[in-house]
Amino acid sequence: MNSIDPRSGEKELLLDYSMPSQVVMFGALAVNVEDAIADRPDLAFSTNLCLEELITNTIQYGLQNAPDHLIQIRISRTPDWLEIVLKDDAPAFNPFEIAPHPDLDASIEERSVGGLGVHLVRTLMDDAWASYDGTGNLITLKKTLKQ
Amino acid sequence: MSFDFQLETTDGVQQLTLIGRLDSATFIALEKTIGSLFASANDRVLIDFSALSYISSAGLRLILVAAKRARQVGGRLILCGLTPSVREVFEISGFLKIMETEQNRELARKALMATPVSI
Repeated sequence: MNSIDPRSGEKELLLDYSMPSQVVMFGALAVNVEDAIADRPDLAFSTNLCLEELITNTIQYGLQNAPDHLIQIRISRTPDWLEIVLKDDAPAFNPFEIAPHPDLDASIEERSVGGLGVHLVRTLMDDAWASYDGTGNLITLKKTLKQ
Repeated sequence: MSFDFQLETTDGVQQLTLIGRLDSATFIALEKTIGSLFASANDRVLIDFSALSYISSAGLRLILVAAKRARQVGGRLILCGLTPSVREVFEISGFLKIMETEQNRELARKALMATPVSI
Protein backbone atom coordinates (compact mmCIF):
# COMPACT_ATOMS: atom_id res chain seq x y z
CA MET A 1 0.00 0.00 0.00
CA ASN A 2 2.99 2.27 -0.28
CA SER A 3 2.73 5.09 -2.78
CA ILE A 4 4.87 8.05 -3.70
CA ASP A 5 3.43 11.54 -3.71
CA PRO A 6 5.15 13.32 -6.63
CA ARG A 7 4.53 16.75 -5.08
CA SER A 8 6.70 16.04 -2.05
CA GLY A 9 9.68 14.22 -3.40
CA GLU A 10 10.27 11.03 -1.48
CA LYS A 11 7.14 11.17 0.67
CA GLU A 12 5.83 7.66 1.21
CA LEU A 13 2.29 6.92 2.37
CA LEU A 14 2.42 4.37 5.19
CA LEU A 15 -1.22 4.23 6.25
CA ASP A 16 -4.56 5.51 4.99
CA TYR A 17 -7.25 4.45 7.46
CA SER A 18 -10.75 5.42 8.50
CA MET A 19 -11.89 4.83 12.05
CA PRO A 20 -15.45 5.00 13.41
CA SER A 21 -15.85 7.62 16.16
CA GLN A 22 -15.80 5.02 18.96
CA VAL A 23 -13.09 4.61 21.60
CA VAL A 24 -13.41 0.80 21.45
CA MET A 25 -11.79 0.99 17.99
CA PHE A 26 -8.37 2.19 19.25
CA GLY A 27 -7.09 -1.40 19.60
CA ALA A 28 -7.76 -2.07 15.90
CA LEU A 29 -6.21 1.24 14.87
CA ALA A 30 -3.11 0.44 16.95
CA VAL A 31 -2.53 -2.86 15.15
CA ASN A 32 -2.64 -1.04 11.79
CA VAL A 33 -0.23 1.67 12.99
CA GLU A 34 2.16 -0.96 14.38
CA ASP A 35 2.15 -2.77 11.01
CA ALA A 36 2.65 0.49 9.08
CA ILE A 37 5.69 1.53 11.18
CA ALA A 38 6.92 -1.98 11.95
CA ASP A 39 10.60 -0.98 11.81
CA ARG A 40 10.19 1.58 14.64
CA PRO A 41 8.06 0.22 17.54
CA ASP A 42 8.93 3.31 19.63
CA LEU A 43 7.60 5.59 16.90
CA ALA A 44 4.47 3.43 16.52
CA PHE A 45 3.89 3.81 20.28
CA SER A 46 4.17 7.62 20.15
CA THR A 47 1.99 7.76 17.04
CA ASN A 48 -0.73 5.62 18.64
CA LEU A 49 -0.63 7.71 21.79
CA CYS A 50 -1.01 11.01 19.90
CA LEU A 51 -3.78 9.59 17.70
CA GLU A 52 -5.70 8.31 20.70
CA GLU A 53 -5.40 11.56 22.67
CA LEU A 54 -6.56 13.71 19.75
CA ILE A 55 -9.30 11.36 18.51
CA THR A 56 -10.65 10.93 22.06
CA ASN A 57 -10.93 14.74 22.27
CA THR A 58 -12.69 14.84 18.90
CA ILE A 59 -15.14 12.10 19.90
CA GLN A 60 -15.92 13.58 23.33
CA TYR A 61 -15.89 17.32 22.68
CA GLY A 62 -16.18 17.68 18.88
CA LEU A 63 -18.76 14.97 18.23
CA GLN A 64 -20.45 14.77 21.67
CA ASN A 65 -19.85 10.97 21.61
CA ALA A 66 -21.85 10.41 18.42
CA PRO A 67 -20.67 6.93 17.29
CA ASP A 68 -21.52 7.16 13.57
CA HIS A 69 -18.82 9.50 12.27
CA LEU A 70 -15.59 8.57 10.54
CA ILE A 71 -12.15 9.91 11.36
CA GLN A 72 -9.56 9.69 8.60
CA ILE A 73 -5.94 9.03 9.44
CA ARG A 74 -3.02 9.32 7.04
CA ILE A 75 0.54 8.58 8.06
CA SER A 76 3.43 9.31 5.70
CA ARG A 77 7.15 9.46 5.91
CA THR A 78 10.06 11.14 4.21
CA PRO A 79 13.66 10.33 5.14
CA ASP A 80 13.51 13.26 7.60
CA TRP A 81 9.91 13.42 8.86
CA LEU A 82 6.98 11.37 10.02
CA GLU A 83 3.73 13.16 9.20
CA ILE A 84 0.36 12.29 10.73
CA VAL A 85 -2.82 13.88 9.37
CA LEU A 86 -6.23 13.55 11.01
CA LYS A 87 -9.49 14.69 9.46
CA ASP A 88 -12.92 14.72 11.09
CA ASP A 89 -16.34 16.16 10.21
CA ALA A 90 -16.95 17.81 13.59
CA PRO A 91 -17.65 21.51 14.19
CA ALA A 92 -14.57 23.72 14.41
CA PHE A 93 -12.45 22.60 17.36
CA ASN A 94 -8.79 23.36 17.99
CA PRO A 95 -7.38 21.27 20.86
CA PHE A 96 -4.08 23.16 20.81
CA GLU A 97 -5.81 26.46 21.59
CA ILE A 98 -8.12 25.30 24.37
CA ALA A 99 -6.18 22.57 26.18
CA PRO A 100 -4.75 23.64 29.55
CA HIS A 101 -1.05 23.31 30.33
CA PRO A 102 -0.77 20.87 33.25
CA ASP A 103 1.31 21.98 36.24
CA LEU A 104 4.08 19.37 36.12
CA ASP A 105 5.65 20.63 39.33
CA ALA A 106 2.52 20.31 41.47
CA SER A 107 2.45 17.88 44.38
CA ILE A 108 0.31 14.73 44.26
CA GLU A 109 -2.44 16.48 46.21
CA GLU A 110 -2.44 19.47 43.86
CA ARG A 111 -2.11 17.68 40.52
CA SER A 112 -5.37 17.80 38.61
CA VAL A 113 -6.66 14.53 37.21
CA GLY A 114 -6.71 14.94 33.44
CA GLY A 115 -5.50 17.57 30.98
CA LEU A 116 -2.50 15.45 30.01
CA GLY A 117 -3.52 14.36 26.52
CA VAL A 118 -2.62 17.45 24.50
CA HIS A 119 0.51 17.97 26.63
CA LEU A 120 1.68 14.48 25.59
CA VAL A 121 1.05 15.30 21.91
CA ARG A 122 2.90 18.64 22.14
CA THR A 123 5.87 16.95 23.80
CA LEU A 124 6.11 13.82 21.65
CA MET A 125 5.73 15.65 18.32
CA ASP A 126 7.91 18.44 16.92
CA ASP A 127 5.06 20.30 15.29
CA ALA A 128 1.28 20.15 15.77
CA TRP A 129 -1.44 22.37 14.36
CA ALA A 130 -5.15 22.29 13.59
CA SER A 131 -7.32 24.11 11.06
CA TYR A 132 -10.98 24.08 10.05
CA ASP A 133 -11.82 23.94 6.33
CA GLY A 134 -15.61 24.32 6.48
CA THR A 135 -16.30 20.57 6.43
CA GLY A 136 -14.22 19.45 9.39
CA ASN A 137 -10.99 19.80 11.34
CA LEU A 138 -7.62 18.94 9.92
CA ILE A 139 -4.89 18.18 12.43
CA THR A 140 -1.30 17.77 11.25
CA LEU A 141 1.52 16.41 13.39
CA LYS A 142 5.17 16.19 12.43
CA LYS A 143 8.00 14.39 14.09
CA THR A 144 11.60 14.54 12.99
CA LEU A 145 13.23 11.19 12.32
CA LYS A 146 16.73 12.59 12.67
CA GLN A 147 18.32 11.33 15.85
CA MET B 1 -4.54 -6.82 22.02
CA SER B 2 -6.95 -5.85 24.79
CA PHE B 3 -6.46 -5.28 28.48
CA ASP B 4 -6.49 -7.49 31.56
CA PHE B 5 -5.24 -7.28 35.14
CA GLN B 6 -4.55 -9.49 38.14
CA LEU B 7 -4.68 -8.52 41.80
CA GLU B 8 -3.14 -10.76 44.45
CA THR B 9 -2.07 -10.17 48.03
CA THR B 10 1.14 -11.79 49.31
CA ASP B 11 2.71 -11.08 52.73
CA GLY B 12 0.44 -8.08 53.20
CA VAL B 13 1.45 -6.50 49.88
CA GLN B 14 -1.22 -6.02 47.21
CA GLN B 15 0.25 -6.71 43.78
CA LEU B 16 -1.61 -5.36 40.79
CA THR B 17 -0.34 -6.64 37.45
CA LEU B 18 -1.44 -4.75 34.33
CA ILE B 19 -1.50 -6.62 31.02
CA GLY B 20 -1.93 -5.33 27.44
CA ARG B 21 -3.35 -1.94 26.43
CA LEU B 22 -4.65 0.56 28.97
CA ASP B 23 -6.49 3.10 26.82
CA SER B 24 -9.60 5.28 26.79
CA ALA B 25 -11.78 2.21 26.11
CA THR B 26 -10.18 -0.34 28.47
CA PHE B 27 -9.49 1.83 31.55
CA ILE B 28 -13.09 1.35 32.70
CA ALA B 29 -12.33 -2.29 33.57
CA LEU B 30 -9.71 -1.12 36.08
CA GLU B 31 -11.46 1.90 37.60
CA LYS B 32 -13.23 0.13 40.47
CA THR B 33 -10.15 -1.87 41.49
CA ILE B 34 -8.00 1.29 41.56
CA GLY B 35 -10.58 2.96 43.81
CA SER B 36 -10.47 0.12 46.35
CA LEU B 37 -6.69 -0.33 46.71
CA PHE B 38 -6.19 2.13 49.56
CA ALA B 39 -8.38 2.16 52.67
CA SER B 40 -5.91 2.55 55.54
CA ALA B 41 -2.38 3.67 56.36
CA ASN B 42 -1.24 0.04 56.39
CA ASP B 43 -2.09 -0.51 52.75
CA ARG B 44 0.96 -1.29 50.66
CA VAL B 45 0.51 -1.69 46.93
CA LEU B 46 2.74 -2.35 43.97
CA ILE B 47 1.59 -1.92 40.38
CA ASP B 48 3.58 -4.03 37.93
CA PHE B 49 3.76 -2.53 34.41
CA SER B 50 6.14 -5.11 32.87
CA ALA B 51 3.35 -6.76 30.82
CA LEU B 52 1.68 -3.46 29.89
CA SER B 53 2.45 -2.63 26.26
CA TYR B 54 0.61 0.70 26.04
CA ILE B 55 -0.86 3.42 28.25
CA SER B 56 -2.57 6.71 27.36
CA SER B 57 -3.76 9.63 29.47
CA ALA B 58 -6.92 7.66 30.36
CA GLY B 59 -4.71 5.10 32.12
CA LEU B 60 -2.41 7.74 33.61
CA ARG B 61 -5.48 9.32 35.21
CA LEU B 62 -6.17 6.09 37.13
CA ILE B 63 -2.56 5.81 38.32
CA LEU B 64 -2.76 9.41 39.59
CA VAL B 65 -6.02 8.57 41.39
CA ALA B 66 -4.27 5.62 43.09
CA ALA B 67 -1.33 7.83 44.10
CA LYS B 68 -3.66 10.49 45.49
CA ARG B 69 -5.57 7.86 47.50
CA ALA B 70 -2.29 6.45 48.88
CA ARG B 71 -1.25 9.93 49.99
CA GLN B 72 -4.67 10.61 51.50
CA VAL B 73 -4.76 7.51 53.72
CA GLY B 74 -1.00 7.42 54.40
CA GLY B 75 -0.43 4.16 52.52
CA ARG B 76 2.43 3.42 50.15
CA LEU B 77 2.37 2.85 46.39
CA ILE B 78 5.30 1.70 44.26
CA LEU B 79 5.21 1.40 40.45
CA CYS B 80 7.55 -1.17 38.93
CA GLY B 81 8.58 -2.78 35.65
CA LEU B 82 7.92 0.27 33.46
CA THR B 83 9.06 -0.47 29.89
CA PRO B 84 10.98 2.35 28.12
CA SER B 85 7.98 3.68 26.14
CA VAL B 86 5.65 3.60 29.16
CA ARG B 87 8.36 5.18 31.30
CA GLU B 88 8.72 8.04 28.79
CA VAL B 89 4.99 8.76 29.08
CA PHE B 90 5.28 8.88 32.89
CA GLU B 91 8.30 11.17 32.58
CA ILE B 92 6.56 13.61 30.21
CA SER B 93 3.54 13.65 32.53
CA GLY B 94 5.72 14.64 35.48
CA PHE B 95 4.66 11.52 37.39
CA LEU B 96 8.21 10.28 38.02
CA LYS B 97 8.72 13.35 40.25
CA ILE B 98 5.75 12.54 42.47
CA MET B 99 5.55 8.74 42.39
CA GLU B 100 7.86 6.07 43.74
CA THR B 101 9.23 3.56 41.21
CA GLU B 102 11.39 0.46 41.33
CA GLN B 103 12.99 -1.43 38.48
CA ASN B 104 11.14 -4.70 39.06
CA ARG B 105 8.55 -6.45 41.20
CA GLU B 106 11.08 -8.04 43.58
CA LEU B 107 12.65 -4.69 44.49
CA ALA B 108 9.20 -3.13 44.91
CA ARG B 109 8.09 -6.00 47.16
CA LYS B 110 11.21 -5.70 49.29
CA ALA B 111 10.74 -1.96 49.69
CA LEU B 112 7.08 -2.34 50.63
CA MET B 113 7.74 -5.18 53.10
CA ALA B 114 10.30 -2.97 54.84
CA THR B 115 7.60 -0.30 55.40
CA PRO B 116 6.78 -0.13 59.13
CA VAL B 117 3.20 -1.11 59.94
CA SER B 118 1.33 1.15 62.33
CA ILE B 119 -0.78 -0.48 65.06
